[in-house]
Amino acid sequence: MTTEVDALIARYLQDLESQLGDLPANRRQELLDEVHAHIAAARADLDLETEADVRTMLERLGDPADIAAEARERSGVQARPARPTTPWLEIATVVLLVIPFLGWILGAVLVWLSRLWTTRDKLIGTVAGLSWLLGGLGTVMVSAGGPVGQPGVDVGTTGSNPLELILVVAPLVLPVAAAIYLGLRLRRRAGAPAATG
Amino acid sequence: MVPAKRESLITQMRRGTLEYCVLALLRDQPRYGFDLVRSLSQADGLVTSEGTIYPLLGRLRRDGLVTTTWHESPSGPPRRYYQLTAEGRRALALFSTEWDRFTDAVDRLLQQGGSP
Repeated sequence: MTTEVDALIARYLQDLESQLGDLPANRRQELLDEVHAHIAAARADLDLETEADVRTMLERLGDPADIAAEARERSGVQARPARPTTPWLEIATVVLLVIPFLGWILGAVLVWLSRLWTTRDKLIGTVAGLSWLLGGLGTVMVSAGGPVGQPGVDVGTTGSNPLELILVVAPLVLPVAAAIYLGLRLRRRAGAPAATG
Repeated sequence: MVPAKRESLITQMRRGTLEYCVLALLRDQPRYGFDLVRSLSQADGLVTSEGTIYPLLGRLRRDGLVTTTWHESPSGPPRRYYQLTAEGRRALALFSTEWDRFTDAVDRLLQQGGSP
């Protein structure tokens, strides 16, 4: 019985301590001491302590998250979710996507580490960053399947020229377009809280 | 009224007044944390979770409105007692005067509803 109650209280204090994580150490300790003393005094007040009594007492004390929120407000500490920090990771990704080959590869990988872009944004970044691979593959396929040894009279040859052009130009343009798109998405998200995913 | 709205209304009213309620409780004698908190929570609607008073007490101490001293307790470990400083007493007196004027004005408006 006593151990059950002790475990309840220990869990409550542990929860409170972790909720107070971003407070200066001396404030956190002071508050923990006070709540600890409160619990001790409340228990001394009870004639016959039951588990229900202790639960009620902890309920009256309140949710540790509420106490922590009040403590942050009263001591001028910013809540954790508000983080107006510079999104270096995202900026690096956008810059890399403009640098051919190695930059494209790194950009396509880094984009997945971001918490600010959505999965769709990340897919766009990846496909664009690796488009030269697809383009290169396509070029090889087109030239392989093209009119071998038949100089330019065939209709198929003239038709394949624009396609080849697209396959050559697209890998150069797509990563830049994706970088611009991701940059715009980033600016839009800058004011909003960080995505949870 | 919607519960959420009622809750936020009370929260707003509490925000500016709670610290003076604490000062008022200390006007006549020093008190230790638990005693103070229980007296406050007996006042209807003033405190929803008792634990949130402790950050406020810390704030009042840092602002120099209260000081704390340790005293032996008849049972268990020593207790931290809170007492008003001269500055705390002045703050309480000022609030008291302004509160009377404020509530008088609001009461009058609520009762007569703007009719002459």
